[in-house]
Amino acid sequence: MLLALAAVPVLIAVAVRLSSSPPEPGRGPPFLDRVTQNGLFVSITALVVCIPLFLPLTVGVVAGDTIAGEANLGTLRYLLVVPAGRVRLLLVKFAGAAAFCLAATLTVVASGALIGAALFPVGPVTLLSGDTISVGESILRSLLVAGYVTVSLLGLSAIGLFISTLTVVPVGAMAATIVLSVVAQVLGALPQFEWLHPWLFSHYWLDFADLLRQPIAWTSFGDNALLQAGYAAVFGALAYGRFVTKDILS
Amino acid sequence: MTRVYLRWVPAAVVTAVITAGALAVPLQAGASVDLPDKTPQEVLELIGDSTKDSLSGTIEQTSNLGLPDLSAGGSAGGSAGGDEAASALELLTGDHTARVYVDGHDKKRVQVMDRMAERDLIINGYDVWLWDSKENTATHVAVPPHDKGDFPKPGDTPTPAELAEKFLEAVDPATEVTVDDDTEVAGRTAYDLVLTPRSSEDTLVGSVSIAVDSETGLPLRVQVTAQGETEPAFLLEFTELSLETPDADIFEFEPPPGATVKEKELPEHPSKDGKTDGDHDDFPGEVSGSGWDTVIELPAGSAPAELTESPMFAQATEAVDEGAVLSTTLLNILITDDGRVYVGSVPVERLQSAAAGG
Amino acid sequence: MGEQPNPAVELAIETRGLTKRFGHQTAVNAVDLAVPRGSVFGFLGPNGSGKTTTIRLALGLAAATSGQVSVLGQTMPGRLKDVLPRVGALVEGPGFYPFLSGAANLHRLDSADRYAPSATRRARVHRALDRVGLGHAAGKKVGAYSLGMKQRLGLANALLMPRELLVLDEPTNGLDPQGTREVRNLVRSLAAEGTTVFVSSHLLAEVEQMCSHIAVMSVGSLVAQGTLDELRRAGESRVRVRTPDIAAALRVLAALGLAPEQTEPPGRAGGDGNDDSHDDGVVSAPLAPDSRPAEAIVAALVAGGVRVRGFTVERASLEDRFVALTGEGFDIAQ
Ligand SMILES: Nc1ncnc2c1ncn2[C@@H]1O[C@H](COP(=O)(O)OP(=O)(O)OP(=O)(O)O)[C@@H](O)[C@H]1O
Ligand SMILES: [Mg+2]
Repeated sequence: MLLALAAVPVLIAVAVRLSSSPPEPGRGPPFLDRVTQNGLFVSITALVVCIPLFLPLTVGVVAGDTIAGEANLGTLRYLLVVPAGRVRLLLVKFAGAAAFCLAATLTVVASGALIGAALFPVGPVTLLSGDTISVGESILRSLLVAGYVTVSLLGLSAIGLFISTLTVVPVGAMAATIVLSVVAQVLGALPQFEWLHPWLFSHYWLDFADLLRQPIAWTSFGDNALLQAGYAAVFGALAYGRFVTKDILS
Repeated sequence: MTRVYLRWVPAAVVTAVITAGALAVPLQAGASVDLPDKTPQEVLELIGDSTKDSLSGTIEQTSNLGLPDLSAGGSAGGSAGGDEAASALELLTGDHTARVYVDGHDKKRVQVMDRMAERDLIINGYDVWLWDSKENTATHVAVPPHDKGDFPKPGDTPTPAELAEKFLEAVDPATEVTVDDDTEVAGRTAYDLVLTPRSSEDTLVGSVSIAVDSETGLPLRVQVTAQGETEPAFLLEFTELSLETPDADIFEFEPPPGATVKEKELPEHPSKDGKTDGDHDDFPGEVSGSGWDTVIELPAGSAPAELTESPMFAQATEAVDEGAVLSTTLLNILITDDGRVYVGSVPVERLQSAAAGG
Repeated sequence: MGEQPNPAVELAIETRGLTKRFGHQTAVNAVDLAVPRGSVFGFLGPNGSGKTTTIRLALGLAAATSGQVSVLGQTMPGRLKDVLPRVGALVEGPGFYPFLSGAANLHRLDSADRYAPSATRRARVHRALDRVGLGHAAGKKVGAYSLGMKQRLGLANALLMPRELLVLDEPTNGLDPQGTREVRNLVRSLAAEGTTVFVSSHLLAEVEQMCSHIAVMSVGSLVAQGTLDELRRAGESRVRVRTPDIAAALRVLAALGLAPEQTEPPGRAGGDGNDDSHDDGVVSAPLAPDSRPAEAIVAALVAGGVRVRGFTVERASLEDRFVALTGEGFDIAQ
């Protein structure tokens, strides 16, 4: 899965490199036009492309598999008989899913930076505000963005964890999690549900760009972290309630 | 067993606490504030005496004009086109967040934070830069020395102070000025000054309320409510505010490498306070009436053909004898068939008669 | 909480009124199990009789609808964290990650155990694998294991740490004769070390060979429980007399208060190469537990002029007993 994620920036970079005319500003995914000028933008463009579907997809697979996958293999009962402890198992599984979110995001960012550096010139990076920062600081910003995206995915991970405790069919849990992430984004795009928007876990997903302003706009980072923490707490508690009372019959 | 239900208690409690917390925070923001009472005149004086001219903060603008959401097309990924009028309209109708930095009268930076993009206005002495990250263009305007001061930019989101100033200028005998309950904006206590047109027939505006910082006299929020509505149709407010002088390097701007750089001449007759909401302007238009029922006329050819011919235009407007009318809760816009534009916070008939008279 | 130290025998597993319902079906119905420490306890029952469910309840995997379980003197599932580290288990077949090797699977499970010292992990995994004969397949992916190999790996998992109690649900399922024998020897040697072994099985011969105690489940209820001997004795034994003097034998046995019958007519019971036996028949009679000793019966027969050519006391087989307790029917009861 990480390999597939790593392939996205490569695909973007190669496509831009091979196309005869450079992308026009304002067309295609944001930042695409900057790629030819500065390879470091491949990471950011790739993230923009991955966030709506590809990252939630992989996170859904991983989070949906956490408990249901173990139950399906029959390993869950052995872990519990060890005893691994149900709460501890949930925490470890959530930590694992969170680690995957980080790994997935870093994979996209790192692979984007590498392929970008290989195919395009690298130099000082222009921020959204028009200010320019050094390559070193831009790497720092990329890591910040990776952190932001990782945090963004934690709510979805918690939802996946909860769904995963409901079933012994991992594919069902994965599908349900992914479907939810799509539904959240669809709702987020409908003005009729405006009152709901700030409550959707996908609400701040694309606002990582606020880290690319000068000075950094931290508000969305804080709001996002708070929202994701709320989701993690609610669905973590639900997963706890479900899992500690669950009969392990698989 | 009852044990089974007990295990669900943490889940229920966490959910309840978080929901309650999430619901309580906005309520708390509106918690009652009690300041020493002031008369409307005293609040007006407080604004007048305000000397605060360096600050940084975040401004939020929400419009609920009953227009189709034009901002959707301009956000993430979409192309807004290079049309300034469309962009101005988009700024007016959409919801926006902007950061402002002000240091004295000759240093100012406004950053309109679009999703994945940003539009900047940077004023630093005689240099004015406009930056659009989506188009990757920087426009430089050199201001002649005698024209120091705020430089008008079409589509620039003004600060609540600037907007308030404009409304206060219009305070005349036709306006009733009152002070509403004290309030809190961006964590600061404020007086809420309410301007209400005495006559409700000539204008669409129900009331304008201006929250004035109790300490500095700085307007922190402007809400415009249409006739017969309770929710504001237009809201401009500080969500964060710091009264410290911003860093000097915020006002430094160099066009980034790779960007398209344009030089622009300053318009010939810059008006003193060219604001962009369409009622006061720096372009050659005519203003008739005064106060609440002001009508602005733009000469023929002001409405670009690609706008009037687009299917969306037909959808959003309503055909009348003279042309087409774009109706919002706060503003009516009449675009005549020969391309003249009449704008005003007035009933459509007044625009029609203005068009007939002109 | 509800712990009552039993003065007579310390119990490794004790259940009181243990009941588990799935919807309206009662999978385990008011079961009172008493598994003494140090015993090898055979847990028998037809398919679907509730053995695995009982084991799940005892291990805290599922919550009982009513009733109590205590394991190693502690109530479950309340004291689960104290109890389970001392228990090794194989529940309803092995469950492993197919993409990991056998050894890696054991490493993973062992590292989930907070009481298992990581320093000795490698050695312990190695020893457990050797003990079940998987030493050579340790590095192979579990996905490539045969059924029996997986079963052995499951056993190895239960043996990773020294345990006070082993709960083995059908441990010989899928094993070859050598494997079955090894498991039997393994269980014996573990029992000799003092480990209590709780084995569920359908293989009565197996159980008969290794168990000291037995319990029989039928349709969710416990129908018999006790030592192997008690259980066998509870079934009927028979005397079989091989003799040509059928009539005399019947008379003598009847005089002793037994209810004899001719099971085979003269001339049928022969065929063991003895020239005299061509006209033998067989008379047999059920033997009540309190009837005379076998030697007294033989003496009476001889005294009555019966030519006793063969005399056996047949204990009821466990299978007979099992069928008697759980019914003849082949169909699953519920
Ligand atoms: N998850 C479940 N949902 C509903 N009923 C179940 C479930 N698991 C088991 N049962 C029912 O409980 C009863 C006992 O099942 P259990 O697995 O304990 O039998 P068993 O004695 O272990 O059988 P076997 O010898 O085949 O392993 C069966 O009738 C079974 O249908
Ligand atoms: Mg079973």
